[in-house]
This record gives sequence, C-alpha cells and structure tokens, in this order.
Amino acid sequence: MIYLDNAASTRPYREVLEEYVRHSQEDFANSNSKHYFGFATHSLLEKARKSVLTDLGVTDTHQALFCSGATEANNTVFQGIAFRYANRGKRILVGSTEHPSVLVTAHSLARLQGFEVVEIPVNAKGQVEPDTLASMMDKQTILVSIMAVNNETGAINDLPALAQVVHQFPKAFFHSDLTQSVGKMEMDYSGVDFLSFSGHKICAPKGTGVLVYRSKIGFESLHRGGDQEFGLRAGTVDVPGALALADALHRTCQEREAYIALAKTLFQQLKEGLSQIEEVVLNSDENGSPFVLNFSLRKHKASVVVEALSERGIYVSSVSACNSKGEPTSYVLAAMGKDPGDCANSIRVSFGHENTKEDVDAFLIALKEILTEVAPR
Amino acid sequence: MKFDSLLVHYGELSTKGSNRKEFIRCLVHNVRVALKAFPVEIKGNRDYILIGLGDQKPEPVIARLQEVSGIQRISLIYKTETPIETIQEAATALIATQPGKTFKVETKRTDKTYPLDSYGISIAVADAILDHTDLEVDVHHPDIVMKVTLRPGECLLSCQDYPGLGGYPLGMNGKVTMLLSGGIDSPVAAYSLMRRGILVDCLHFASPPYTQMAVIDKLKDLLKQLNVYQNDIRLQVVPFTKLQEAIYAHVPEPYCITIMRRMMIRIAEKVAKKNHCLGIATGESIGQVASQTLQSIVTINDVTSFPILRPLCVSDKLSIIETSKRIKTYEISIRPYEDCCTIFKPKKPKTKPRIDEAERYEASFDYASLIEEAVEGITNIYLSGGEEVEGKQIVCPNPGDLVE
Repeated sequence: MIYLDNAASTRPYREVLEEYVRHSQEDFANSNSKHYFGFATHSLLEKARKSVLTDLGVTDTHQALFCSGATEANNTVFQGIAFRYANRGKRILVGSTEHPSVLVTAHSLARLQGFEVVEIPVNAKGQVEPDTLASMMDKQTILVSIMAVNNETGAINDLPALAQVVHQFPKAFFHSDLTQSVGKMEMDYSGVDFLSFSGHKICAPKGTGVLVYRSKIGFESLHRGGDQEFGLRAGTVDVPGALALADALHRTCQEREAYIALAKTLFQQLKEGLSQIEEVVLNSDENGSPFVLNFSLRKHKASVVVEALSERGIYVSSVSACNSKGEPTSYVLAAMGKDPGDCANSIRVSFGHENTKEDVDAFLIALKEILTEVAPR
Repeated sequence: MKFDSLLVHYGELSTKGSNRKEFIRCLVHNVRVALKAFPVEIKGNRDYILIGLGDQKPEPVIARLQEVSGIQRISLIYKTETPIETIQEAATALIATQPGKTFKVETKRTDKTYPLDSYGISIAVADAILDHTDLEVDVHHPDIVMKVTLRPGECLLSCQDYPGLGGYPLGMNGKVTMLLSGGIDSPVAAYSLMRRGILVDCLHFASPPYTQMAVIDKLKDLLKQLNVYQNDIRLQVVPFTKLQEAIYAHVPEPYCITIMRRMMIRIAEKVAKKNHCLGIATGESIGQVASQTLQSIVTINDVTSFPILRPLCVSDKLSIIETSKRIKTYEISIRPYEDCCTIFKPKKPKTKPRIDEAERYEASFDYASLIEEAVEGITNIYLSGGEEVEGKQIVCPNPGDLVE
C-alpha cells in the first residue's frame, strides 16, 4: 500500500495509541467525579489542555475545549457566536474555499437565522488577501472565518495580517480552521480568536479534536446538560482521547522541522515528475503547504485515474466519483478561477511523515502507465 | 385456548395439475429456509403447509411468510377433533379472544361423510357462540368471521387471514441469467422473476477503473436485500474493461451503446448455457433510454436466439420505483455509483440502430477473443440470508442450481 492521502486522515502514532489504551484502562474515572480518582483524571485532562495551548503558543490568552473534531469545533464557533451575539450584528464573512464544515454551517445560519453570510473571494493562488477582507468588513460583521491552509490545494493564508484587519472592528471575532496547518508549519496564532482542528490529521485517534478560544470571549454551547469543559460542551470528557491528541500534537510539533523538510523534498520530487507529463497542470505552488500537491488532468478523467491507482494499492483523492448525473466539481479550484475541466478533474496528493521518495516514484510510474492505458475523457 | 398454528394456502396450484408435487416440494423447502430462525414445526401435505407455532408469537412468522413466493394466503388457525361438541367448544373459546361485537360462521366441508352439512355446522357453532358469549350475529358486516374447515379426520378453525406474495415457489420455474446493473430497474426485474418462481443467477459487467469498486459493494447490498425473496444468490462479475475499450476505439460513438449491449448479450448467452440457465433476463423497459427503444432491442437481440425475458418491458417508471421502494432496494439503487462511466456514454446515442450497421462496425475488431477472455475471467460472489458467504454454503431448492 502506498498511502498519499494524509490530508484526509493519518495513521496514529503507535506510542500514542498505546498510551491511549493504557489511560483508557487505568484512568477511566469520570473527570467530573468528586472523588480522588476523578480528581486524578481531571488533572490529566488539565495537563492535556495545557500541552495543547503551549504547542499552539497561546498559553496566556486562550483556553482549549476538547471535542470530537474540527467539524464539531467549527459548528460550535458558528452557532455559539451567532446565538450569543446576533444583537451586535448579523453579518458573517467566510472564505469561499473553506471546508464544508464551515461553509455549510455558515449558510445554514443564513437560511435558518436570517444572517447575512458573504463569501470572501480568493486570489488565483487560493488565498484571501487582507485588502479584499478589509473592503468587505463593516460594523455589522460579528464573525470572520478563514482557514490557515486549504485542504484541497495547500494554499496558505496570512493569518496574522488577516487578524489585524478583523480586529480593527471591535465587534468582530476571527475564527480559523487549522486542520491542515497545525503541526505542519510555523505560524503565529495569537491574533486569532477561535482555532479548531482534528486529531486524526496529526496522527491521533479519530474522534478527537479541539476548539481553542480566546479566554475572555463567551459563547453559547452546542451541547447542553452538564458543566464539563467550562459548561461549553456537556457530556463526559474523553480524557484518554484528549491526552492522545495532546501527545500527538506535541510529537508532531517536536518533529516539525524534519517533517517539513521531508514534505518539501517529496513535493519537489513529485512536481518535477509531474512536469514531464504533458497533460498535467499544477493547482498548488511552492508558496503553499508542502504537504499538499494538487494537479489537474487535461485529457483524462481524474476519478477514473484515482480508481486505477486504487486498484494498484496507491491511495490519493480526487474531487469526485464517476457520476453521469451531474459531474461533481471542485468549488475550491473554481473559486481560484480555474477552467471547469480542471475543476472536475483534479487529484490531490498529500504527504505524511511516513512517506518516502520511493512512494513518490511508485506513484509517478503508476500514473504514467495509467495515463497511457485508460481511455481519455 | 389460542390460535396455535399457521395454515399456508398454496398459490396458483389449480393451474399446475401435473406439477403439484414439484410445487409443494419447492414451497416446503423455501418455507423451511425462510423460517430457519424460528422454532416452529413445518409439515407440508397435498393441500396445505401446517406450521405449529408452539410458544412462538405468530406475527413475525406471518411477516416472513408474506415474503415467500407461491403462497396465496396465510391463516392463523386452531386444529381440533371433528365431533361437533368439540368444535363448538373450541370455536366459543377462540372467538372470545378476538376483538369485535358481531360475528358470522362460515363452513367449508370437504369430508362429505360428516353427519352435518355445511349450513348445519354453521348453525350449530353459531348457537354455541351465542349461548356462551355476548356476541351478536351479523351476516353482512361482521366484525369477526369464524371459519370452520372440516376435512376428513380434522377440523380447522380460523378468524384471521393474511395475504401472501402469490406467484410460484422459487425454483420450480427454472432459472435465468439476470443482467444486473445496480440501477433501480434490474433489482425490481429480478424480484418480479423470483416472485414467479424463477431462480435468478446474476451477472454484472464491471469496467474498472472506469467503474468503481464501490459499485460491487452496492450490488452486494442490493442482493442482500433480495435475499429476502431468494435466500441464496450468486453474483458473477465479468471483467468488461478490455471489451469496452475496444468498442470505444473501433466503433463510431452513436453505436457504442448498441454494440456494448450486443457484447453483453453474447457473453450472457455463453454464461447462461454454461450454468444451465434457460434464458437471459434484463431490467429493460421499452423506450426508457436509447438502448431500450424497440428498434434498439431488435438490433441488440439479433445476436442470440436464446430467450430474453424483460419483466419490466411495459412497466411505468413510477410503478418500478414504487416496487423498488416496497422491496427496499430503492435507497441502495440511488447511491451515486454508476455501472457505466460517462467516458463511454455517447452524447448522441443512436435510438434506431440498424443490424447491418452494427455488424459492419463489429467486423472491424476481433471481439470474439475478447469475449472468451471476459468469460474466462468471471469471478463469483455468493450471498445468503443477507450475508456474503462462501460458495459451498449456498442452498437451493434444486441441487446444483447456483453452485456445481
């Protein structure tokens, strides 16, 4: 198996899983229980919380809330802010290339709660430019959401610069989905009010996630019924999961330089290999995250090529399944102004620390073979 | 006292004089397979199947029997001795367990030596009920109908009938090779055949990587659903990619689908004959798409003299959808995976293809060896009772039906 779909999910660190099992067996008390066993579990939870805040570099200003993943964290931000602060204004700005857990949630607030939700255009590289954002901000805006790194293309947004624009409007909060950036790049997150990410993209188990929020900001909770997680997420806390996420994040951050160097090498290697294939056009560039390389096929159908790769045990992502009833297409690439044919036929290769040069070689060989074998579109 | 048995009435048996034994053998086998999970006693005879319920609640057993083809109706009954006093006592006790205020007694007497005639029995039973309960007689719109069936040596009492699926017992009308695509129509066509007693052996044409592996999973799920009607199903998957690519390379676009269907029929005929099937079946419905116009069907059908059954040929799409919802295949069928990739779908398919033209295009490449190769490469998947199983676990009414 050659796994080049690490932006979709990753294999958990073995040590993290072992600790997860150990904590599940030994520290199973409810962290909310008022006995010594419960207190001990609670202190493990607080240790995990502190570790996450330290690794993100926001120890003094922010607080962390453990949840099931970025989707829940994003839902919590949108609904939590919308319900609490609708009296201040009803305008929400979201990047046009955001993940569906942001876009769909935002648009549901427009549909159900009468918010004005506006998508911020991106430039040809897929980035939100601070000037563009500035031109769209107004006093009615209460929330701006712009991801750090795009999941399809790896395009990076300049969060500190964007944060500065948002904070010129005191009523507006700034949220950023860090799912594809956390542990994978150096970035100053301190200007962002809400940060969310999933554990399974950084080699923690699935079902773990964090919402990091500026401590002084209050918001409504999505789950009601208990005072866990400062009353912001009712329900018994998954302490072993929180510990596993904190552990995986810490390991990833410690190895960050090495991981980035590896990803850059693989990115270059793949880019050079792809440049020999005439019909390939790159949708990612070197200024983006080295962990994601997106390209489109001009002559072949991407979904067919991905299926053929899959037959050979090579796993990457394409925008769509083969479907005659309306071809799915990438709204991310469309927002970047790409040609419709390219939007419907893109392939994403995403690296993890377990990948090797041999993986990229094998991918390139298989891709070239497949392109000569399968019928063009 | 409570109703403690179920009586299964045979379906269209009257039309099948000499095949009666075969009908009963198949139905008893199928009922046993269907009720495997229930601790009930099953006895078949010339006139009916009697199912002793013991402590088993009747409702789930009846519901399962309603999915077995060849059953006209199911009655919840109590079996008693024939002396009139015994019948009166049982009928009175049983009717007291039924909701309602009015009743009527209907008697059928096949034992002509019995001292009372049908009317006499009805009167005697009704008298007893009137004496011992508060019920009143209403012969026009009764709440409860007490049916008394008097056979030599036994009397059956029943108040409730449940409709069966009708049709013939599965396996008594031979078997066919069914072309299964994964769309809405072909599972409904398969169900229609099963209901009429025809065992279905499935064939799917897969063209990876143009079609996805997910299609096979979808087919498995469809067939697991159809296991309700045919407990054991085989799915044969034909590797069709090379042939499809050859068609795409050699045949003008408007004729691609016509030629593709002709190749499928040629393969299906070979497979059917190899498997001792007596025909090919498809989910085609006339006029629905370009390859299903009558002109197309003529051109496609021309490659074989083998019978092709098209159970849905004149069904409305809406009624097909309705059936697929009823047999619970609809939600699976509408999953987005397609059996044919858009790459091979002509923009303007020929709606009136000609046989001579089709033959001319086919002469331009060596399809015969590709067909041989496809048939050689067939793989088998077996599904039984809603699970994927090994071939040896497959059981059918006739030995060797699906597994040699």
